[in-house]
Amino acid sequence: MSATREVISSGNELAALAAVDAGCRFFGGYPITPSSEVMHEISDLLPKVGGAAIQMEDEIAGVAAAIGAGMAGVRTLTATSGPGISLKAENLGLAQMAEVPLVVVNVMRGGPSTGLPTRVAQGDVAQAKNPSHGDYKSITVCAGNLAECYTETVRAFNLADRFMQPVFVLLDETIGHMHAKAVIPTAEEVKKGIVPRKTFDGPAEEYRPYDVPQDQPAVLNPMFQGYRYHFTGLHHDAMGFPTEEIETCRKLIDRLFRKVEEHKDEIESNEEYMLDDAEILIIGYGSASLAIKEAVDVLRAEGVKVGMFRPITLWPSPQERLYELGQKFDKILSVELNQGQYLEEIQRSMGRLDIAKLTKTNGRPFSPSDIIEKVKEL
Amino acid sequence: MSRIVMRFTGVGGQGVLLAGEIFAAAKIKDGGFGVKTATYTSQVRGGPTVVDIQLDDKEIFYPYAIDGQIDFMLSVADVSYQQFKNGVREGGTIVIEPNLVHPTDEDRKKWNIVEIPIITIAKEEVGNVITQSVVALAIANTYTNALDEELLVSTMLSKVPPRFHELNKKAYELGKKYATEAMANV
Repeated sequence: MSATREVISSGNELAALAAVDAGCRFFGGYPITPSSEVMHEISDLLPKVGGAAIQMEDEIAGVAAAIGAGMAGVRTLTATSGPGISLKAENLGLAQMAEVPLVVVNVMRGGPSTGLPTRVAQGDVAQAKNPSHGDYKSITVCAGNLAECYTETVRAFNLADRFMQPVFVLLDETIGHMHAKAVIPTAEEVKKGIVPRKTFDGPAEEYRPYDVPQDQPAVLNPMFQGYRYHFTGLHHDAMGFPTEEIETCRKLIDRLFRKVEEHKDEIESNEEYMLDDAEILIIGYGSASLAIKEAVDVLRAEGVKVGMFRPITLWPSPQERLYELGQKFDKILSVELNQGQYLEEIQRSMGRLDIAKLTKTNGRPFSPSDIIEKVKEL
Repeated sequence: MSRIVMRFTGVGGQGVLLAGEIFAAAKIKDGGFGVKTATYTSQVRGGPTVVDIQLDDKEIFYPYAIDGQIDFMLSVADVSYQQFKNGVREGGTIVIEPNLVHPTDEDRKKWNIVEIPIITIAKEEVGNVITQSVVALAIANTYTNALDEELLVSTMLSKVPPRFHELNKKAYELGKKYATEAMANV
């Protein structure tokens, strides 16, 4: 078993700690409720390990600075909430297109627009799939408890370097601010698991960063080390320079999809709770799963055979597993703090529409009794 | 130990968050589980704030107190008292700052309402209004008997700078004294 430690902390603070332990050495951002503690915490931590954190003039500049660090070859983080993602969207598209690794922690609150800044929601699930225009494949993970605020942030850094693109870590107000015990891996353990991005170490004149197999990400060497190439948001050739050559353009976007889709097994992560003998299936993620687990325990004590499926990686979705579950279960309830953003993905994956839903968008969390009541109605 | 559920309410800026963190941390040090959640509004100061604390020997999944299951509430602002009082179970204890919180006669029948001038004690007897959260901590623990006092005080002291240790110890002692007296006067 790997070495662990017990900490008393909040989700936001744990995300910051995870970033630093995972080798992140730059943070660029702008404070926004309910994510600000990520920035507070990492501003304390980074200078102690030779890193830097900067508060930029706005959300857009915050992500731009973080992407710049990623281009330079440094593990880099930004943190924000939904309104911040809206502002960062254009630059996030640049990072997808130029294949710059970056971790984005989004602590979700109520929207749209300014919404309910201090209250909980899971309204950015659809946004995380496609924050920017154009075609690319999002990688989005979602922490369902305090420990995962740490472990999923660590995982996000390794995924970002593996797939050379932004990776979203979704937290929400509840999980970001709740303060309790978490058992997490030791910093040494995390360090052992760090897989840095691939680099090219042959002669500089043979280096072609974007000339890679169709299921693989670009190989971008850190800047200022003798390897020259170009970053752009335009369609680009093997050296990163703009091109409109028909086949090159087709292959580029095809590759942005396939590098993720053909390696989904490296990304997918789910939790199944009391599912083996269950007759009723509840699907939920993030902080909603805390209320679901409590509800499952109460219902089980009353003899109701209910279990939970929780996707930890939301995008790409666990569509094969969802399909199997859709075949196995008659009664299925989807629980989310939005109007059903993931429900559509569940329906698509299962190939059926008769999924019951429990949703909430008034800034309040689900209580276990909300879920118990709904299950009894099924 | 069965689950102990407490709620601290006030308005933003009063510092009600700290007492919750201390309770949770002390319970965890004791080998159990403690969870603190805070809910506040977008007003920086003056908005109603509520802090829920749950302490248990078993793992706690859902982090908020469930309405109707709260054993003990402490309130130092009327706006939040009115908004959150209904979470307290019938017969539960609500400690209020009588200068700021105004319960109805019906409230007094439904709950064990105890008047302790928490802010006045912190301001005038301890000498620093900031210590009200420690006065509150002492009152809450005296009423709920949730945690070993030594453990709670040492956890509290670990969260304040050494030069304020004596002040906060005094705040704790005074909170305990007033709570013990109030309990004896029932």
